[in-house]
Formats: sequence, structure tokens, C-alpha cells
Amino acid sequence: MVSKEEILEGLAKAVVEGDEVKSEELAKKSLEMGIDPYEALMQGCNKGMAKVSDLYECKEMFVPEILLSADAMYAAIDILKPHLKIDASAKKPAKIVIGVAQGDIHDIGKNLVKMMLEVAGFILIDVGKDVPVDTFVKKAEEEDADLVTISALMTTSMMYMEPVIKKLKEKNHKAKVVVGGAPINSDFAKKIGAAGYGKDAVEAVKVAKSLTGA
Amino acid sequence: MDKMSPPERFHAVLMGEKPDRVPVNPFILGFAAKIVGMPLGDFYADGNKSFEAQFMCMRLYGYESTPMYGYASCGPWEFGGKVGFPYGEGHSAPYVIEHPVMEIGDIDKLEVPDSDKPVGGYVEAQKVCDRCVQMGMPAIFQGGSVFTAAAVVADTTKFLKWIKTEPKSAHALLDKVSQMYMNQIEYFANRYGPEKCVVFDGGPVEANTVISPQKFEEFAFPYMMKVHKKIRELDIPVTLMHPCADQNLNIPYYIKLRESFNWKGIYAWIFGPETPLKIQIEKFGSHDIIGGNVDPPSIQTKSYEEVVRLCKENIEQGMNNPRGFILCPGCEFPPLAEPIKPMAFLDAARQFGIYK
Repeated sequence: MVSKEEILEGLAKAVVEGDEVKSEELAKKSLEMGIDPYEALMQGCNKGMAKVSDLYECKEMFVPEILLSADAMYAAIDILKPHLKIDASAKKPAKIVIGVAQGDIHDIGKNLVKMMLEVAGFILIDVGKDVPVDTFVKKAEEEDADLVTISALMTTSMMYMEPVIKKLKEKNHKAKVVVGGAPINSDFAKKIGAAGYGKDAVEAVKVAKSLTGA
Repeated sequence: MDKMSPPERFHAVLMGEKPDRVPVNPFILGFAAKIVGMPLGDFYADGNKSFEAQFMCMRLYGYESTPMYGYASCGPWEFGGKVGFPYGEGHSAPYVIEHPVMEIGDIDKLEVPDSDKPVGGYVEAQKVCDRCVQMGMPAIFQGGSVFTAAAVVADTTKFLKWIKTEPKSAHALLDKVSQMYMNQIEYFANRYGPEKCVVFDGGPVEANTVISPQKFEEFAFPYMMKVHKKIRELDIPVTLMHPCADQNLNIPYYIKLRESFNWKGIYAWIFGPETPLKIQIEKFGSHDIIGGNVDPPSIQTKSYEEVVRLCKENIEQGMNNPRGFILCPGCEFPPLAEPIKPMAFLDAARQFGIYK
């Protein structure tokens, strides 16, 4: 007989190893055993992704491995999510609009940041790549977003971050803007009035948490 | 005051002699379009326009580098996919609209393009090279990187997963991409004569922010070796290496590449700003030319004075490299930088890069 701890540890391990088949199997098994799906999510999937995040930070895991971990995690989430009990009294998670700056089609970095933020409990609204300035602003308004995160890989597209910040300020919108991507550094983020800068996906989560008090 | 002309200066560095001052290769591509008032899309869609913009820019500033045609997403067009040209706001270079490989089964069906003519972007590159050679300048064209090209010939996210889950198929794709590069290199070497050719090899997807050095060793290094073996067999004298972005963990393999060919050929390295010049000199400096690596976003966002200061630091660290030094940015010159910024490079070279 497999114990609850073994299931949860196995789920975390499957996520770290990017084993989609195993994570699906263990997610199903956890439901069969009556394990609280929220606990399976937190102690299995999220624990695994936290380990992935640590390994990425110390350069022991790289993008191909993380992409497979993400697939494994989402496979388990798809099974667990319909069974999660909604707690009406719980604090609402912060909402984040995420996208790649205008003119830029490089979205792997954005997708990694999105995944890490989702794992950290935020609600993500993904507006995609090559996103016009007004789309970021409109989406932030429509969704009453707490944060807008913008990534850019090119020196040409990074210039479309500042207009988003300015337009949100003009509209007195509460959303704070976090920027990141290869050509961005903290000096540039400060110069354009961004509330935060994340040098990678792991740091983006830390910045998002500190800006939203999550 | 300069005592040599730009061609004399560049020739001196290539030959291992001391020029009058540090030469400048500002790695200008799209920036040239802005300077001459040309849409960036035209610059990449038409090799003749690309040449004209670069040649005018080169004359305007008087730097040492000569025109070339290339961009990071080389590969899909050559294999029959679709690329878009940078006419839109924020665009900086051609981008992939349709990857020739979307599913694993597409790799088997993928045909290596003909070897007796230029294909895709090489048609435009040939226009640039023809004009350069007619005017006594070298024919500079892309010969890599194989890994980056394979990662855009295929859907990038899928390719990165395949190197873990479908290694045999990933190798099959890399092999076809390397064959395409070797065919095009041979075609250009035959057209102009190898002695007039310079191969440019570099790409960002093998950066260690993306893949591990182990994956570099397994999936990038063998095909880089294959292409460089061809370059050496053809006796092409000069190769420009641009390990783009942070490739510090891949350095041992670049050393292995050079050692495998007994450091033959003239190699010039343009690493990203993440690789200190001190390390580059230590690892390659006795045999190879070191290009600088001034931070490109800083060129765009900082003042003229600050860019001069960054260039000065680069020059002071690099100018006494045993095999020579060229002042460069760590990647393409930002297309949106102010027109004064290439002058910052030249002013720094003239003020701080004089050889006694």
C-alpha cells in the first residue's frame, strides 16, 4: 500500500524529472486515495516546481528540462483542478497581465515566467507576444490587474515598455509594471519608471510577491 | 590622428601586426538602415539595399568593418519556411512566420536545399557579397550556428524538448541544418574564391541561459565541428565567432574546437558582455583576435560620454591581447541607438587605443 507521503513525494519528483506520464498517474492516484487535491497541488506539484526553480537558479536545470517539468506539472493540475474546493473566504490571488513587448516574438522566457507565477498562486492573463502598448493597458483595465509584466529580448522592443507604464499612470491605474528580458537591467527598469525588474523567472516571482504582498 | 586607412588597419590586425590604433567593428546591421533613412524591412528584404545602407554608413563613420548580410533566425527561409521582414513597430530583424518543422515527423521529410545555388537569405547575402568583392572587400556570410538555426527551423519550444525526449530526431535535424550551411559555404567559396571569404558563426539559442554545457557538448558541438572542418578544408582564412549572450559554460568546447584544428585559421571572437575580456584573452588570446564586448543595451540607453567610458574600459582590457584586438559591441549595434553612438566607439579608439 502506497502512503500519502509517497504519493506526494512521487508527484513532486515526477514534476522535477519532467515525467508527464508519472505525474498524471500520481495525480489520479491521489484522488483515488482521497488526498485533498489542494494538498496534492501544493505538496506535490508546487513543491516539485519550487525544486525546479532552485535548480534553475543554481544552473543545474535549464530551459529544456524546465519545459518538460512544466508539462508534467500542467498534466497533474488538469486532473486535480476540477476537484479543488473553492474557499469563498480565502484571500483573492493577485491578477497579473503578462506579455511580450511590441515587435518581439520571443516568448519562451515569458512562458517560463508565467508558469512560475502561476505556481506561486497568481492569476495570469496572457496577452501573448508582439503586444501593442494599448493592449497591455486595456487588458489591465478590463481585468483590474494588480501587475503588468512585460518581457523583451530586443533593444528595439524594449522601448515599448515605458509607454505602457506612462499610459497606466495617466489613467491612474493601480497596476504596477514589472519588466525583464535579456537587454533589460535594473537601471533601465528604474529609468523608465517600472515598479520592478526580474532578471529571470525566479526573481520575477520574488518581485511579484513583494509588490503585491502575496 | 589616424596613420592608417581602415583597410590597412584591419589588414594589420588580421596579419598579427600592430596597427596605428585599435580598429573598430561596431557590428552595424539594422542601424545602417536608420542612418540612411531606409525602412528596416527593405534592409533585410533586398541585399542590394542592405549593401547600400551599410556601405554609406561605413563611409560616414569610417569604421573598419565591411558590409555583411545575416540575422539570428537564419534557417527557416533556407528550408522553405516563411519569414517576415521587420517593417513593424519594435521589429529588429527578420522573424519566423512558418517553421518548416512543426512535428517530429517533419524532420524526416525535410530536404536539405540544393548545393549549387544560394537559397533563402543567401540569395540576398550573395547580392551583398557580390558588391563587396567587386569593391575589393571580403565576402562575409553566415555559416552558423547550427544549433540556433535548428531551433528556429523547428518550433523552438518543441525543439528544446526534443533534445531531451527525441534525441535521435534532434540529431537528424541538426545534421540536415549543418549540411545546408556546409553547402552554402562551399557555394560561396567557389563563387568568390575561399581567400576572399569570411564565415560568420554565432547564435543565441545555445546560451547557458537556455541549455546546459552538457547539452551544448551533445547537440551543438559536433555540428559546429563538422562545419568548421569544412571551413578548414576549403581553406577559408577568416572566421568570425559570435557566441551570443552568456556562453561562459560553453567556453571549454570552443577551446576544444580551436585545439582540434591546431588553432589554424584566423579566428576573431565576439562574445557577449557576460564574458569578461580577461577570460577571453586567457583562453584564446595567444592564438586568436579578441573583439570587445561593449554592452549593446547600454549603447542605446546611455549617453555618448558613458558609451565612450565603456569603450575605454574595453580598450584598456583588450588592446594588449597578444594576437590583436578589435573594439566591438557584444552583439549587433542597437538599431535605435542615436547616430552619435558609433562616433563614441571611434572617439574612444582614437583617444585610448593608440599603439606606440
